[in-house]
Amino acid sequence: MTIQDTLRSADPTLDALEARVLGEIAEMLRDVIGEEYVVDMEITMDTSFNEDLELESIEFVTLADRMRVTYGDQVDFVGFLAEMDVDRVINMRVGEVVHFIADSLRAGAKGA
Amino acid sequence: MGRILFVVPPLAGHVYPAVGIAGELTDRGHEVAIAGHASVVRPLVPAPLRLVELPEEITSGERAEIEEKSRRQRGTGSFKFLWEDFLLPLGTAMARDLEPVVDDFRPDIVVVDQQAVGGALLARRRRLRWVTLATTSAEFDNPYGVMAAVGQWVDDRLREFQLASGVPAEEAGRGDLRFSDLLTLVCSVTELLRMPDAVAALPPGTVFIGSGAGLRQPLADFPWSWLDPARAKVLVSLGTVTRETGGRFLRVAAEALAGMTGQVQTIIVAPPGIVDDLAAAAPADVLVRDKVPQLELMGHLSAVVCHAGNNTVCEALSQGVPLVVAPVRDDQPMIAEQVTRAGAGLRVRFGLVNAAGVAAAVASVLDDPAYRSAARRLRDDFASAGGVAAGAAHIEKLLP
Repeated sequence: MTIQDTLRSADPTLDALEARVLGEIAEMLRDVIGEEYVVDMEITMDTSFNEDLELESIEFVTLADRMRVTYGDQVDFVGFLAEMDVDRVINMRVGEVVHFIADSLRAGAKGA
Repeated sequence: MGRILFVVPPLAGHVYPAVGIAGELTDRGHEVAIAGHASVVRPLVPAPLRLVELPEEITSGERAEIEEKSRRQRGTGSFKFLWEDFLLPLGTAMARDLEPVVDDFRPDIVVVDQQAVGGALLARRRRLRWVTLATTSAEFDNPYGVMAAVGQWVDDRLREFQLASGVPAEEAGRGDLRFSDLLTLVCSVTELLRMPDAVAALPPGTVFIGSGAGLRQPLADFPWSWLDPARAKVLVSLGTVTRETGGRFLRVAAEALAGMTGQVQTIIVAPPGIVDDLAAAAPADVLVRDKVPQLELMGHLSAVVCHAGNNTVCEALSQGVPLVVAPVRDDQPMIAEQVTRAGAGLRVRFGLVNAAGVAAAVASVLDDPAYRSAARRLRDDFASAGGVAAGAAHIEKLLP
């Protein structure tokens, strides 16, 4: 990761909720992938699940479980993935998931 | 006596189990042939078995290009690459090239490797009885997980593949070319699947036979007297994983194990030039061989470090040997997950783990008896599954 990538993680276009979610997702990903891998890798909105993180499909199952623990039923990550086509799944970046989670949380808060 | 034709893709790991079962059927007096691409398959087919050579559709230059591209594939993207760039074009060529083979050999049964979908397509088109041989259990353990789109994409491409080759839509919709509706033999045990969901979801006619190890080429020689009965023996092998890709990992693993010489002797399967210096520096502790008699060696081992190729994993577990697995791509992450889920080993990251990481994993697997106990429980499951003899018996039952 370059300095530019690190700077982008403090993206001024992110609101407080999105910035918080990015931090939470990065933590979950570190946990799923294992420490020796991402010790010095900054996970940003631009990080690709496939190319950068080499996340295997079975690891998405673990990620989905972690999200359920953190966000409960408000965030349906499995449903989100189910609606994607194959190229979108393969090219998916962390930012897309952060926006999806932030939107779900906002919708949940409004509904409550 | 029956006439049985095996159809294999040019992938070594898929050829060994076919040869194992074909050898068993030959011993039982059947007329058996293996159809495949000589450049890859010939060296793996021992003399008593007949090889029917398919035209080498892909030149060695093109193959090198595909291999080069495949080396960069990781994660979920590797599924799409495998089918789109390799298996489906191969299937089209094989369905065509197998026509004259079938006319000539007139098989009673065609045993088709699960990834050689051209063989299944031809059998369906010609209304031949066909059996699927799955040399890995990944497809039976929901390998796509929550990435349903990837699984659906593969299903759709395979349906299109049938339609494009003249299979009527109604028939194409009835069955997937990866699963015979007559019999699907799987080289694994159900105890490795995600229980109980995966077992309940198995297609009808699916039989798990355990390890596909059987007939092989004459054994590689091995300096058996080198083994020290007082120390634990660890084998490091990346099977048939492209060797350049594995160089870094082999080096890291060798360095890790060379540092454990008090307790461990290490056998590393590696081509010349990667770890020879480590063996030269510690000739009583580290042995480097280009090839080893893996099945015979397995009984002497306390642990295996490998890429989670299904054959090596099944051979290790069949003899109760725990593993450290470093999956690279395709089905290997799934097989690695099976090993760790069963408690029979630990996973490390192939591309990123360092020597300290490998050393810690190997030390855990050697020192904590839980890994060996889990591997021994699986050894019993593999024994009851019956191996290539069971596979051969199931095929025999389908003969006219």
